[in-house]
Amino acid sequence: MDKSFQIQLEEIIEADILIGIPSYNNSRTIGHVVRSVMAGLAKYFPRAKAVLVNSDGGSTDGTQEEVKKVQIEDFKTILTSHPVYPIQKIVTPYHGIPGKGSAFRTIFEAAKSVNAKACAVVDSDLRSITPEWIELLIRPIYEEGFDYVVPLYARHRFDGTITNSIVYPLTRALYGKRVRQPIGGDFGFSGELAKHYLTKEVWETDIARFGIDIWMTTLAIAEGYKVCQSYLGAKIHDARDPGSDLGPMFTQVVSSVYGLMGNYQHLWKEVKESQPVPTFGFHYEVGLEPISVNVERMIRNFKLGVKDLMEIWRKALLPETARWLDSISRLSDEAFSFPQDLWVRLIYDFAIAHHKGSVHREHLLKSMIPLYLGRVASFVKENQESSVKEVEEKIESLCKVFEEMKPYLIERWG
Amino acid sequence: MSEIWRTAIVASFDKFLGKVVTFLPNLLAMITILVIGLITAWIIKTLLFRFLKAIQFDRVSERWGLTHILSRGGIAYSPASLVSRFFYWVIVLITLILGINALEVAATQNFIAQFFSYLPNLFAAVIILVIGYLIAIFLGQAALIAGVNAQMESAKLLSRSVRWFIIILSLTMALYHLGIAEKVIVAAFSITFGGIVLALAIAFGWGGRELAKDFLERLYLKKKKEDGDHNHLSHL
Repeated sequence: MDKSFQIQLEEIIEADILIGIPSYNNSRTIGHVVRSVMAGLAKYFPRAKAVLVNSDGGSTDGTQEEVKKVQIEDFKTILTSHPVYPIQKIVTPYHGIPGKGSAFRTIFEAAKSVNAKACAVVDSDLRSITPEWIELLIRPIYEEGFDYVVPLYARHRFDGTITNSIVYPLTRALYGKRVRQPIGGDFGFSGELAKHYLTKEVWETDIARFGIDIWMTTLAIAEGYKVCQSYLGAKIHDARDPGSDLGPMFTQVVSSVYGLMGNYQHLWKEVKESQPVPTFGFHYEVGLEPISVNVERMIRNFKLGVKDLMEIWRKALLPETARWLDSISRLSDEAFSFPQDLWVRLIYDFAIAHHKGSVHREHLLKSMIPLYLGRVASFVKENQESSVKEVEEKIESLCKVFEEMKPYLIERWG
Repeated sequence: MSEIWRTAIVASFDKFLGKVVTFLPNLLAMITILVIGLITAWIIKTLLFRFLKAIQFDRVSERWGLTHILSRGGIAYSPASLVSRFFYWVIVLITLILGINALEVAATQNFIAQFFSYLPNLFAAVIILVIGYLIAIFLGQAALIAGVNAQMESAKLLSRSVRWFIIILSLTMALYHLGIAEKVIVAAFSITFGGIVLALAIAFGWGGRELAKDFLERLYLKKKKEDGDHNHLSHL
């Protein structure tokens, strides 16, 4: 831990609530996020001693200065009372592998140091965060006795494709909890859970990067902490190129999911069905901006994968699965369809190959990207005219296939 | 006369007997070395095989594509079995050489001395080849996956090029290490590699000027088009 950071924490001595904001070059949006957090703390927890920690990855665009200069001069203008205790703000660089997980580690350390009761982390590139998010992420822990709060957003029907096609159905089938957006990005957690996270030696792995979200959620579920979800409304990020980091994002998330499967195999093998988790917040519909998706390009990438990567995939797949894949790659773009059963079988087969180490793990995960794009293309094609509710029903049906085919996974896992 | 004959025969016989008496301990030494060597080879083979099984060498080899190559080459042994057998035969060979050396036959002494001084080079060359081959497989596969994910139609060609470049490089290094026509090998490699680079440079810079121009134009336009219709999905 940074020395000046440690001194600042020691000066605070103790806090009830700690809010962490990981950042890297987010000067455009972080001011709004900090203001929302401060307003949320003042409005909903005016009597609590609160600390805001910005864990920064070495921004060069003035992110840290932006955090330092944000002040709410007149709380009445945002209909909140002045907090009893001033909200402490700490800006600190994090150490270790550059990534969200390393930033979170610094926040957990801060939570442990000030002995915080309830904590939350929110992304620094959010444009849609409101003070109510702080209440929804903190109150279930601060007052209701929960340990972990997962966000529930209103999203575009084609958004969150890794969540919808892999992480949500797989986590639900494995651990038996219907946590709809396990890698939502903004979470609430108890101080106890933060301390527990720090006991794990995972900070040199993919968990220190994009894998942190699924790791936190899985640990909370698998190790018996009380988990709930809070409806936060729409999640709107700062504009950036979403396709540019698909590779590392996909491999880091899936590698973490598969790695955790190995750690908790004794647990998920015993889970037979899934249960809903308590949900807080007022559910409402929001209008979302349309998304442009280039389906033909994704299908082209899938077909190229079948042509060139089959030799690698065969090490993970059963012969009939490989033949099935081969047959769908010969369909025209108009007739292209990637069946749910095949997708679930692939996810399970690759999990088994990852577990057994029959293919170099990084190669295995990277080689899955054309398959993922094929499945996404098919999903988008099938749901061009569907409503959000109908899309949600399709995801529910995919989850059921994951649960039904779990015996296949257990049998082949060994 | 008969005395002379008798003396000559006895002397000859004595001489022969003397040689046999001198040779017999060497022969016995050779037999002992062979027996001990064969037993040692068998023990090492068994222990090594068990050790390789314990560290899951076969699984690692499968991951690296070695098992596939072996089966494609018609070798039915598992990699663990193959490695342990290799060491068995190396020990048998060394035992044989030591055995022959124990006979103290002048003709073989020089050959054996040369063989033993050359042996480290041979081992180093084998190690260079094996490591080079494994790196070639690994990087070839990495290039193939990266190429496919970048939507390169020629990903396989790229992968093969990477693989063969590393194999040729390691072969050159191994031959250089063995001292086989060192200068010729280095010159041949330099000429071939330099030639490939020069050919590509000429093809793109002069001979295929128009083609290169078209290619780059199409690439640029395609990129611009794809930037325009990029997916705006948020994957997480």
